Amino acid sequence: MKAAEENVDPATPLLTVEDLQVEFDTYGGTVQAVRGVSFSVDQGQTLAIVGESGCGKSVTVQSIMGLIPTPPGRITAGSARLRGHQILGRSTVGGKEIRGAEIGMIFQDPMTSLNPTMTIGDQIAEPLQIHRGYSARDAFTEAIRLLELSKIPEATKRAQQYPFEFSGGMLQRAMIAMALSCKPSILIADEPTTALDVTIQAQILDLMQELQKETGMAIILITHDLGVVARMADEVAVMYAGKVVEYGSADDVFYRSAHPYTVGLKEAMPTNDPARQHELKPIDGSPPDLFAPPAGCGYCPRCPYAMQICSDRQPQDHNLRGHHSASCWLHHAQSDSRPETLFFKDTH
Amino acid sequence: MSDLTAASFAPLSDQQPSQVIARPSLSYWQDAWSRLQANRRALVSLYIVIGLLLFTVFGPVVWPVDPAMQDIDQISQPPGTDRTATLVADYEPWFGTSGLPGTGLRLAEKATSQAVRLQWDAVDGASGHRVYRNLFPIGPELSYGIPMAEFLNNDTLYFEDRLDLQPGRFYYVVVALDERGLITDRYQSISVDVERVTTRTEALERGLITESNAVQIGDKITLAWHPLGTDYLGRDLLARLMAGARVSLFIGIGAPFLFVLFGVVYGSAAGFMGGRIDQLMMRFADFVVALPFLLFMILFKIAFGIGPGESGVFPMLVALVVLLWPATARLVRGQILQIREQGYISASELLGASTPYLIMRHMIPNTLGVVLVTVTFAIPSAIFTEAFLSFIGMGVAPPTPSWGSMSNEGIKTMLTTPHELFFPALFISLTVLAFNLLGDGLRDALDARMRNVE
Amino acid sequence: MWLYILKRVLQGLLTVWFIATATFFAMHNVPGDPLTNDRAMTETTRANLEAKYGLDQPITTQYLIFLRNLARGDFGISFVQENREVNDIIREHFPVSAILGVLAVVFAATGGVLFGALTALYRNRLPDYLIMFLVILGISVPSFVVAALSQLSLVSLNTLVGFTVLPVAGWGTVMHMLVPALVLGLSTMAYLTRLMRSSMLEVTSSDYVRTAKSKGVPPTRIFTRHQLRNAILPVVTVLGPAIAAITTGGFVVELVFAIPGLGRYFVEAVQQLDYTVIMGTTVFYGAFLVFMVILVDVVYGFIDPRVRLDS
Ligand SMILES: Nc1ncnc2c1ncn2[C@@H]1O[C@H](COP(=O)(O)OP(=O)(O)OP(=O)(O)O)[C@@H](O)[C@H]1O
Ligand code: SF4
Ligand SMILES: [Mg+2]
Repeated sequence: MKAAEENVDPATPLLTVEDLQVEFDTYGGTVQAVRGVSFSVDQGQTLAIVGESGCGKSVTVQSIMGLIPTPPGRITAGSARLRGHQILGRSTVGGKEIRGAEIGMIFQDPMTSLNPTMTIGDQIAEPLQIHRGYSARDAFTEAIRLLELSKIPEATKRAQQYPFEFSGGMLQRAMIAMALSCKPSILIADEPTTALDVTIQAQILDLMQELQKETGMAIILITHDLGVVARMADEVAVMYAGKVVEYGSADDVFYRSAHPYTVGLKEAMPTNDPARQHELKPIDGSPPDLFAPPAGCGYCPRCPYAMQICSDRQPQDHNLRGHHSASCWLHHAQSDSRPETLFFKDTH
Repeated sequence: MSDLTAASFAPLSDQQPSQVIARPSLSYWQDAWSRLQANRRALVSLYIVIGLLLFTVFGPVVWPVDPAMQDIDQISQPPGTDRTATLVADYEPWFGTSGLPGTGLRLAEKATSQAVRLQWDAVDGASGHRVYRNLFPIGPELSYGIPMAEFLNNDTLYFEDRLDLQPGRFYYVVVALDERGLITDRYQSISVDVERVTTRTEALERGLITESNAVQIGDKITLAWHPLGTDYLGRDLLARLMAGARVSLFIGIGAPFLFVLFGVVYGSAAGFMGGRIDQLMMRFADFVVALPFLLFMILFKIAFGIGPGESGVFPMLVALVVLLWPATARLVRGQILQIREQGYISASELLGASTPYLIMRHMIPNTLGVVLVTVTFAIPSAIFTEAFLSFIGMGVAPPTPSWGSMSNEGIKTMLTTPHELFFPALFISLTVLAFNLLGDGLRDALDARMRNVE
Repeated sequence: MWLYILKRVLQGLLTVWFIATATFFAMHNVPGDPLTNDRAMTETTRANLEAKYGLDQPITTQYLIFLRNLARGDFGISFVQENREVNDIIREHFPVSAILGVLAVVFAATGGVLFGALTALYRNRLPDYLIMFLVILGISVPSFVVAALSQLSLVSLNTLVGFTVLPVAGWGTVMHMLVPALVLGLSTMAYLTRLMRSSMLEVTSSDYVRTAKSKGVPPTRIFTRHQLRNAILPVVTVLGPAIAAITTGGFVVELVFAIPGLGRYFVEAVQQLDYTVIMGTTVFYGAFLVFMVILVDVVYGFIDPRVRLDS
């Protein structure tokens, strides 16, 4: 596509995030919202980030986009490389704007994420004018085409309407059209379906997948919903208390879960699979206070398999198979506890 | 990893079910109070408010000067002026007969705050004279000042000025008049330094000296102390500010208290009854809101009238209450509807709780915060309204002082003695400022939802 | 839209009726009556005058007559200046107040929006602190003090320079209007600045501004296209009451600066207990304010698309 891409090793993933750490200064003290997060995503792939509310999913992706309000926010360590180029703290890479042009983003609540006093068409046209130098008229025409692509009926009329005249699902389609207007190589979707009805959710996810097939973009999808993960993701990062606790392909994470938290998440998820019809088991307790992160494993107070060491020392990342890894003391060579719900390196 | 033993990997025995919440949980009011204390501006404002209340209530005890007493020796004196005066004999009329020798316009005697006695020789060709007094020299524009007296013949060649004399420099001009009594361009002028004096009788009356005192005519005595100076009638400003505070704060705090009370009753009645009655009651409130406030304040003030001997505080209170209740009523009604919708009321309703119990247990604690904030913000506007009405002469009736009426009087002498405006204006501003900042702090402390992003 | 306006106007008329009724009964509650003012008169003159002003009728009849005349836009004849119609008085003095008021509203609104946006942009930095300090001052110092002080400073300015830079009092030219309008608009400007600031801060942390950032919209464009218009909305909603505050607050400024406006005339009429003038001016002001509020609401409908079709 562009010059910047050519002199990069083709084996380099599209986006690599390494050891990202983010803090917020608040009245109550400093919150360590993200405490060393790493993952990568390739062209045409979908990476899902899952985890409980407040575990730092949004902060992670917003740091990549440079959307962390500073102050109070601060990126204290780590890197994010797009085709090998550092993008943290930059607004352009290889002469191309990161926000809007290289990475598009859609948000959880489409009702509040669009400007209430600007027409949908103008809002979609805006990035085209800024990044592509379109004239206002051309941009608007293109916006209508994008709305059509996003399966919005009567796009010409709809483009002239305001957000309050749209339903939630239509707004999210418009958001997608807007985020993809400049054909970014990555789409970040922060809980894109949480605020929507179940049927609409499926339509939005279909649309994203369809567009991904057409454009070959990578998707980083944040969600609480393991059903969505199962349906969409190639790769999964499970986050807990500001850290990635399990990382791997969707199959690995789902069918060979290696972290007690992942298992807890799965058990808390409703399912209609008759083979796995057991009672729902919500995870007791709440995540740790990130004002004073625990010395040991953050999941320790809630973990059914917690050991003495878990409360004192941070577990290491243990590589299991391929790039599947989990950060849990159970995988340590010296541990002899082998809960059967978990996957271990030498199982089989 | 050599330090890791098998014991490290033993299951954790006493697994707490969840993270213990480290911070103590405070009650709503405790929490609000601690947040208010953290807000330095609000805290300072709170101290100022307390100080003002102490000033109003205990001030007159500490400074028991009658606010209506006139100290005619010290008219419009700014604070910190020299208070010595020379004791002179009681006043005796003067007919221009006695006097110091000299020619031209001259003083017949030493100029004192009791009287300035001028004598002059007839100006050549004049058929009469007019005497002017000014605070400034004549200057190139021939500004003589205020005319004091006019004599249409040359028989009277003296003038005694006793009008509102203050220690300081005065400029007198005697202008010649022609046969028709019109002024000519011939004049004589003199600058006079007036010395402060007081008579023995007066000094005795005021208790500055006693009969037994060995004070003689010509001795220096010290006049009464006025820490903040005096007004144009020689009344003690500090004492008047204290008395005025009583009126201003009575209206400023009393009226909001009453109209908020009425608004709460009205609003909760409407909110509870709901339906048609609620609609009707709120429609009426809308009408009242539409009345042009200041015009109706004035209208009501005259309608309720000021009876003889009344200060006019009461009509103003009534007018404020009648006009200002709807905002609170609306607010409280909204709150109550909201609380009702939130469901926990209907839960208790199902359990058969009585209405008074509902009001006591749920409504009042939930609306008290909002109401408290409303009262705090209503106080400054009530104080402003009182000041405004008193300023245009529609407020409390003289001689009752209020900060507004004091400002009104002070503004007239603003150019010469600014302190008469400065102090009441300062008190109004300080009070309004304190209540505004306190209101901000309370709002932030009591309700995070009401907090504006700051 | 038209239906909405029509509905609002009808409501407005009802409100005006309420204002008129309240005015009428408040005035008839006044102790004493306008004819016992100062002039001694014989029984017959008195009876004649009472008949002329309809004071001999029972109060309900008087009220009905008052309403009938009101419907015709006739406020009657002044009690004090016997041959002057109240309508003439309003026609003569109101334009002065209106010009002063409009100018003050313009000052207040532009100043409020400008300073509010500025404080939000420079939040917690020197310009913010400075402006907010002045705002607090503007809110806390009574208008008559501001008026008097500005007049005082005009006097000293003129003497210092040696010629009349700006006139100290009176009416006639634009020069006469500037300072009084500024003084009149000052407290409203302070209030609007505060409002604009918090509204601006709220918008700044809103989801749609974050979206705009994620689209790569440059900060200046975010400010002009996304923040300003949305932040102004709450300011527009309070403009109606602000106009009310400014028009009725005009008395003080008119008194201090000796401006021949309706406010000053109203105060005089009150002092002379000039029944018809008081009632006429009150109802007129009331109607003016009611319709200004409606106007502001309609204008708001044009700025906020959410309201536009909402009727
Ligand atoms: N602007 C901010 N100021 C202070 N703390 C913040 C800020 N933004 C986020 N945080 C903190 O960072 C932590 C992670 O927040 P984040 O929004 O990333 O969670 P999340 O995983 O996206 O949750 P959710 O599923 O609810 O969206 C939270 O505990 C929050 O308190
Ligand atoms: S490290 Fe220990 S506490 Fe943490 S998840 Fe693994 S077993 Fe549980
Ligand atoms: Mg989030």
